[in-house]
Amino acid sequence: MAKTIMVVDDSSSLRQVVSIALKSAGYDVFEACDGKDALAKLTGQKVHLVVSDVNMPNMDGITFVKEMRKLPAYKFTPVIMLTTENQESKKAEGQAAGAKAWMVKPFKPDQMLMAVSKLCLP
Amino acid sequence: MNLEPALEAFFAEADELLTRMEESLLQLESEPDNNELINDIFRAAHTIKGTAGVFGFDDVVHFTHEVESVLDRVRDGQMIVSNDVIGLLLRNKDHIGVLVHAMADKRELDAAQRAEGDAQMAALLALLGKQPDQPSASAVVSAPAGVSRSEAAIEDSCENGNWHLSIRFGADVLRSGMDPTSFLRYLRTLGDIVHLDTLVDALPSWLEFDPESCYLGFEIDFRSEASKAEIEGVFEFVRDESVLHIIPPYSQVSEYISVLRALPEDDMKLGEMLVLSGALTRSELERGLSLQSGAAAAATGGTDTEAPATSQQIGEILIEGGAVSAGVVDAALAKQKQVKDTKAQEARSLRIDADKLDQLIELVGELVVASAGVQNVAQMLAQGQLTEASEVLTRLVEEVRDRALSLRMVQIGATFQRFQRVVRDVSRELGKDIELQVSGGETDLDKTVVERIGDPLMHLIRNSMDHGIETTDVRLAAGKPARAKVMLNAYHEAGGVVIDVADDGGGLNRDKILRKAIERGLVAEDVQLSEREIDRLIFAPGFSTADQISNLSGRGVGMDVVRRDIEALRGTVDIETEPGKGTRIRIRLPLTLAIIDGFRVGIDKASFVLPVDMIVECVELAGSIRDAARTRGYLDMRGEVLPLLWLREAFDMDSSAPERRENVVVVQFGQTKAGIVVDQLMGEHQTVIRPLGKLFSALRGVSGSTILGSGEIALILDVAGLMKMAGSAGATAAGITEMQGQTSRHAAAPA
Repeated sequence: MAKTIMVVDDSSSLRQVVSIALKSAGYDVFEACDGKDALAKLTGQKVHLVVSDVNMPNMDGITFVKEMRKLPAYKFTPVIMLTTENQESKKAEGQAAGAKAWMVKPFKPDQMLMAVSKLCLP
Repeated sequence: MNLEPALEAFFAEADELLTRMEESLLQLESEPDNNELINDIFRAAHTIKGTAGVFGFDDVVHFTHEVESVLDRVRDGQMIVSNDVIGLLLRNKDHIGVLVHAMADKRELDAAQRAEGDAQMAALLALLGKQPDQPSASAVVSAPAGVSRSEAAIEDSCENGNWHLSIRFGADVLRSGMDPTSFLRYLRTLGDIVHLDTLVDALPSWLEFDPESCYLGFEIDFRSEASKAEIEGVFEFVRDESVLHIIPPYSQVSEYISVLRALPEDDMKLGEMLVLSGALTRSELERGLSLQSGAAAAATGGTDTEAPATSQQIGEILIEGGAVSAGVVDAALAKQKQVKDTKAQEARSLRIDADKLDQLIELVGELVVASAGVQNVAQMLAQGQLTEASEVLTRLVEEVRDRALSLRMVQIGATFQRFQRVVRDVSRELGKDIELQVSGGETDLDKTVVERIGDPLMHLIRNSMDHGIETTDVRLAAGKPARAKVMLNAYHEAGGVVIDVADDGGGLNRDKILRKAIERGLVAEDVQLSEREIDRLIFAPGFSTADQISNLSGRGVGMDVVRRDIEALRGTVDIETEPGKGTRIRIRLPLTLAIIDGFRVGIDKASFVLPVDMIVECVELAGSIRDAARTRGYLDMRGEVLPLLWLREAFDMDSSAPERRENVVVVQFGQTKAGIVVDQLMGEHQTVIRPLGKLFSALRGVSGSTILGSGEIALILDVAGLMKMAGSAGATAAGITEMQGQTSRHAAAPA
């Protein structure tokens, strides 16, 4: 069965790019537009990986990861954070929150697929 | 993958974001302290930049990046939101829109738009305090994520055919959603995990065990063509909290070393050489140097950081820090020394034409002969003063001879080094993990011998790799390390040189050899052979046990060619094998081909010379012992059976044996001993070896001739050949020619 990945980003076009790339690699993908939306969509189903933006309205990525880690079903779900290169302090904060994998935006779809497959092969 | 629908969405989204950005900027004019507004503006720019990059719209990324940087400073309170800044940002927003639309319409900017963009860029850079011609930070943006850390990677290295990865995951990896096994699974997409050991030593007792902590580490042998950066990249997400050592495979190290060797003959600092070879990164060198100068400053009280002989120290520091392996540093030091030596030798040494040298050696040979003549005359005249003078002369001539011969001596090391590459290439070809260990490279040998031993050695090494060493699976099943060893060693022993070619492979399969030998008609079916005799069958002509003919060995040139090549150098070859443990082939070579210390023996009036190195002792053969030996064909030497060869009979000489007594010269070569029965012993003799003419090339038992002091000619006995001659008279196998073969025959069926 295909692995399931949740993509969280406030930019619908970025979500789309990521989704297209992931689907073409054989993953099942569902999307959320910010941290709040993402938490609402985590209803106990198996999610193999979360790809999340940091800077989002309503609830940012780091708060989202902190909240997600409180849910027993997602305590150990790997997360890739998408960020810009000038957010080193955010990165430290995010890593403390339990999101160790960071990808610097902008990235090519192939780079993202490689990062994803390090944590979860399709 | 088709990104077209996403592209549409991007353009729509960008317009929306830019509109929002404009609204927020206008609002910011009246509420300059509203952080939420600044965040909104920042997020809009950030999202546009991030998404544009995914589509490869580098112009948008480049420009927006600088806008974002300004916004970042505003957000951090480093920059005041003046009306000027807001004005610029509004123009920036417009220009981003222009750029995005240009992308949407797939057209270039017009001149006015470009000029406006450049002006805005200059203004942004001025705000940020950057020079316009500086490489902008966007260069960083385009750098692929994940590989940036490879520069600082620890450049460990070890002599291994596979990469060796040693990883200890941090205790928190599971809690941060990382599954150690996912990295191992991904690793397998880059190559094969040949071997994996799980380290569980960090596991606490179950009382202290925390199921959410990771206590595991892995030692992994990894076969891959991937680069070190790629392999390190696998663990990029856990790199910081894990202990990771990536040790390059032997081939990688040997590549560093071969690059080091190929460096120009210039005076270079050790660190620079290592950096050039790729074994060390520039930053590692800098770190090492600062450690070194720190240490030096501490040692000298901070007065002088320029310590002499820094190279050894920096080498040690780098090895201790795990930056490079000792082997690579040694190679660099050797290269450095070689450069120095070459420089020094340019002043001291002289190039001589090899022909001139050969002429000199020939003359020295004549001198030796002439001096033997003088000695002869002196002995006959028995005049005190003459004898004394001739002895001084003889001693000096011997010294001149040794010095002259040493001119022709070269180290075997260069020949040995050649094989490193061969072993590397062949082991890849065979899919086996084999390393070559070389020792004794400094052993001196006659130039001709060194030149001509290359081919036989090459054949033996290839043979070891092909037939001797088992496949990795078989080795692992036998509890041996996956990586096999071929060892090449040279050393001086009893006036000659020994070269060992050994492997830790499966040893010879004696059943298979015997079967094959019978099949090939090399031995009779019912013959009883000792283990050594069976082993030696591989040297028989036309023998090959290869199940299938590979392009390495088994090309029809068998081990008998190797044996003949070695014997042509007056050498011998021996084999020792232990099933399951390995095989050692031992080549014994004379130091030189030109002049030897000989021992003269006589049959009737003829003289023969034996190399002194081969003689163990001489015993008298007389009385009843002589009679017994005559009938049995062997001598009881202090309880040991010593097979005898009557030289007179071997050479079919007419004269009859002396009445009273004969002498036995006990010779040894390899591990075997035999007695050669002669009439008289005539003492040591400086023997200048003259080759026999082509006419006599088929002659067996004689390897050359020499001129005696009296002007007479004596034949030099080829002990190995003699044994073969004797053996072939009654032997069953051409391959079994050694005297132990005779021993068993005589013992089994006394003649």
